[in-house]
Amino acid sequence: MAAEPKILIVDDELVVIKSAERVLKSEGYVVEGALGGREAILKIEQDSYDLVFTDLKMPEVDGITLIRWIKKSRPSTGIVIITGYPSQDTIKEALELGIIDYVPKPFTPAVLLDVTERAVEWTKGKKVEEEKMTEKFPPAMEAELERVISEYRKKPGSLIPVLQRAQEIVGYLPPMVQKKISKGLNIPIAEVHSVVSFYSFFTMNPRGDHNIRVCLGTACYVRGIEGVLGKIKETLKIDIGETTENRKFSIEGVRCLGACGLAPVMVIDEETYGAMTPRKAMEIISHYDPSVMSAAAAGAEMMDEKGE
Amino acid sequence: MARLTIDDLRKIKEKQSSDFSLRKGGYSAKVTVHMGTCGIAAGARDVMSALTEEVTKAGMDNIIVTTSGCAGLCAREPLATVEIINHPPVRYCDLNGEKMREIFKEHILGGNPVEKYALVRGCETTY
Amino acid sequence: MEKFRKNLVLCAGTGCVAGGSMKVRDALREEIKKKGLEKDINLSLAACSGSCSEGPVLSVYPDEVFYQKLTAEDIPKLVEEHFVNERLYEKLIMREPEEKSSIPAMKDIPFFRYQVLRVLRNKGLIDPEKIEEYIARDGYQAAAKALTEMTQEDIIKVVKDSGLRGRGGAGFPTGLKWEFASKVSSDVKYMLCNGDEGDPGAFMDRSVMEADPHSVIEGMIIGAKAIGAHNGYIYVRAEYPLAVKRLQMAIDMATEMGLLGKDILGTGFDFELEIYLGAGAFVCGEETALMRSIEGKRGMPRPRPPFPAQKGLWDKPSVLNNVETLAQIAPIILNGADWYRTLGTEKSAGTKVFALTGAVNNVGLVEVPMGIPLRTIIYDIGAGMRKGRKFKAVQLGGPSGGCIPEGLLDIPVTYEDIVATGAIIGSGGMVVMDDNTCMVGTAKFFLGFTADESCGKCVPCRVGTRILLDILTDITEGKGREEDMATLEDLGRDIIATSLCGLGQTAPNPVLTTLRYFRDEYESHIRHKWCKAGVCRDLTTFWIDEKLCKACGACLRACPSKAIVGEKKVPHKIIQELCVHCRTCYETCKFSSIKILPAGFEGDPYELLGSEAKGEAKGGNE
Repeated sequence: MAAEPKILIVDDELVVIKSAERVLKSEGYVVEGALGGREAILKIEQDSYDLVFTDLKMPEVDGITLIRWIKKSRPSTGIVIITGYPSQDTIKEALELGIIDYVPKPFTPAVLLDVTERAVEWTKGKKVEEEKMTEKFPPAMEAELERVISEYRKKPGSLIPVLQRAQEIVGYLPPMVQKKISKGLNIPIAEVHSVVSFYSFFTMNPRGDHNIRVCLGTACYVRGIEGVLGKIKETLKIDIGETTENRKFSIEGVRCLGACGLAPVMVIDEETYGAMTPRKAMEIISHYDPSVMSAAAAGAEMMDEKGE
Repeated sequence: MARLTIDDLRKIKEKQSSDFSLRKGGYSAKVTVHMGTCGIAAGARDVMSALTEEVTKAGMDNIIVTTSGCAGLCAREPLATVEIINHPPVRYCDLNGEKMREIFKEHILGGNPVEKYALVRGCETTY
Repeated sequence: MEKFRKNLVLCAGTGCVAGGSMKVRDALREEIKKKGLEKDINLSLAACSGSCSEGPVLSVYPDEVFYQKLTAEDIPKLVEEHFVNERLYEKLIMREPEEKSSIPAMKDIPFFRYQVLRVLRNKGLIDPEKIEEYIARDGYQAAAKALTEMTQEDIIKVVKDSGLRGRGGAGFPTGLKWEFASKVSSDVKYMLCNGDEGDPGAFMDRSVMEADPHSVIEGMIIGAKAIGAHNGYIYVRAEYPLAVKRLQMAIDMATEMGLLGKDILGTGFDFELEIYLGAGAFVCGEETALMRSIEGKRGMPRPRPPFPAQKGLWDKPSVLNNVETLAQIAPIILNGADWYRTLGTEKSAGTKVFALTGAVNNVGLVEVPMGIPLRTIIYDIGAGMRKGRKFKAVQLGGPSGGCIPEGLLDIPVTYEDIVATGAIIGSGGMVVMDDNTCMVGTAKFFLGFTADESCGKCVPCRVGTRILLDILTDITEGKGREEDMATLEDLGRDIIATSLCGLGQTAPNPVLTTLRYFRDEYESHIRHKWCKAGVCRDLTTFWIDEKLCKACGACLRACPSKAIVGEKKVPHKIIQELCVHCRTCYETCKFSSIKILPAGFEGDPYELLGSEAKGEAKGGNE
């Protein structure tokens, strides 16, 4: 990234600005705040921002007015709305004006970062997002997805089960899949997205051929899962929630697998492995891909010699 | 299966209890491999397949081989319980396929519990 | 204690109970009373002695006489002969009281001796995939009784009288919850089961759902009748595939056999049950959040009132019970409230299941009568600390709970006594920690969890937990300030007072309890930059005590950064500049020769550690 993305937070409550600032700054974004639409317009006149996060309900100049103005005078600026209790109509209006995304208020740091990350991606040429939107799946996968959606179409509260099945089928929930579900179940895309980002079970990134789930529960913590996780991250060179470049492995951190008796525990695909040590974990992972062991290289050899 | 009435429920209970009572059912032994998430992760499947293999090899049809959920002592999984007619059940721990084969020969066929692998005998307390 | 002339011990092992132990007990009680011998004879139940094929077995002390294969019908004669005429009742005498075996009996092993199985009554006994085996163990008898012989009020009264309290955390009386919902009139009501089990370090519910799914279903049928619901959901974590599979099989079988669905057992009562897969959000353990989640929305709690008993799932009256609570219901209906109260204390009746994990020898799932001391659970059932290490704390109640120190281990496990320590019983996760665990780090671990899982709806929880976490992180990285401790306490109390739901209201507990009982660790981190457990990397110096080093080379080979030098017979040394504080050497050394000193320590280690040891000997427990 050339320069750090610059973000303006617009809200009539200082506490919202402060908390968003706190979260975003810690991730290296440049952040400024404006207390209301008027102040925002003045600021944007003076300076250019990559992204603007704005509340909808504000005294004097409200969010929709601000969005219209930005679209007119600074069309390359990305817009995300933050709002407490949106009516379907205002969201719809905002979507039609071309906002990128929607953060429900109050938001968790994770949601905010998640949305910000994708909004930044979008503003960086819009290309990445468009590719994803048009990404094609094998026809069988599409058909299965359609079948699931129509199966649940008439049932109340079916969004989560459908998302679960969709993730089983596709492996993850890219925007295109969310869009399909939104249309199929007649639920606004913003709501679909807000549910996807709320539950840790859902992922918007593709997973590797083998998904390594590392238990982050208390018993595993007490018995040293951190060392095991560290070794796996170091060897595969990815963090939690990421996938290796060759798409072989992904790492997922789970709250508790409920197999505390075997702590520390990791699960690869459907198989549970207990009483892990960094060395044992590497041995097991190398069963799935022998090249991993050589990547673990020197450190692992050294541990072999130790022989427990 | 037909829908049950309360009377059927009682009949199933009686029939099942006698099926599972070794004496009334004409069985000589019952082996339970404890297969909860912990047990399976610790290798209960290997224990189970070693056991079924031995039972088949020995051609015995008067042994009940069954599974159940977690036996509670996760630290000593895999666990299995062997009950020989007219003797208290014996629970074995830290098992693997090989140990199970040995237990099959010594305890189930020979009638002598394998003390070195045994954890405890008797039943758990329920009241 | 009163002195009795005779002590009778009746075996209450599963085998003997199945053979009629309880009927024998009732008959004995009645007969003893009839003969006016209550003052002379004490009757108690005990763990299995391993004579299962001869059961039910009764031991008479101090006579050392054992009777076998008892039935209720034998009892009048037996009492008459043995206790009135003082003659042996030859017909039922057991000649060889115990099998000669070197394998210990259940009563000889503390892990089994102190447990009483009610929720886990079928643990390890039945094949959870076969409904007939559940039925054989009195399964669905309670449902049949509730549907035919009992009114809604009858059921609620028994459950209320039993004193059963919700096992999911808060301990709200189950009968009351049912009563509220039963009194609201509505055409549609919901009976829900919470199998979300979000506490890290807990797996009671998983085990019950895996080992005995029908016990949960039966509890739900009875609850549904009590409140007048005809639809229900079991909300289960998607992370529990085996539990989901077995529950689904159980529901399918029960439906096929007419134990669920329309006209259950021909009684005219309908109850449809479905599984709903949770998608992983801790806050969904909170009942209003869980209901929102079933509706397909973000699982955020909403303020109460209205309570779910009035407006719950889809705004209809709903009752949500935890898995363990529901598994307690069937035996209560069959045996009555008085039976349930024979165990536990006045306010905390019955048994509780705990997931005992961490630094104890016997890690596992245990069910104990309420009121048992914590120490018994850890040192007898748990068989003490692993590798002979020193006990530091036991964590109860997960992220909403707290850490209890050694000095409080003799308190009984009841809702009230545990709350008084600052922890909670919670759903039953019990994680034991030894001196290798850093308490500041532990508080940080839990706050990291709650800050991440906070749904973000209310400010105190969303922002407050984040600030607590930041301060704790600073302390573990050596940036702690003296005033941090007061800030943690003040802010913690504010969060408790002002958060909207249980998650926020309990989130500061891990911080507050560690500050209360392990303040010295905070002080040591802040003032001396010293994490004595050697966990916080920035606050440790690993140092080899030459007097203890056997120069075996184990640490030298294990060190990933080659920071240790030395040869055979020459004590080893850590070159501090190369050390990455990974602890590998510390865990490798078999002679405890590697010691943990404060970060950047330059003084005399012997002097420092010497004064520490002295202080500890003097200070003793908290």
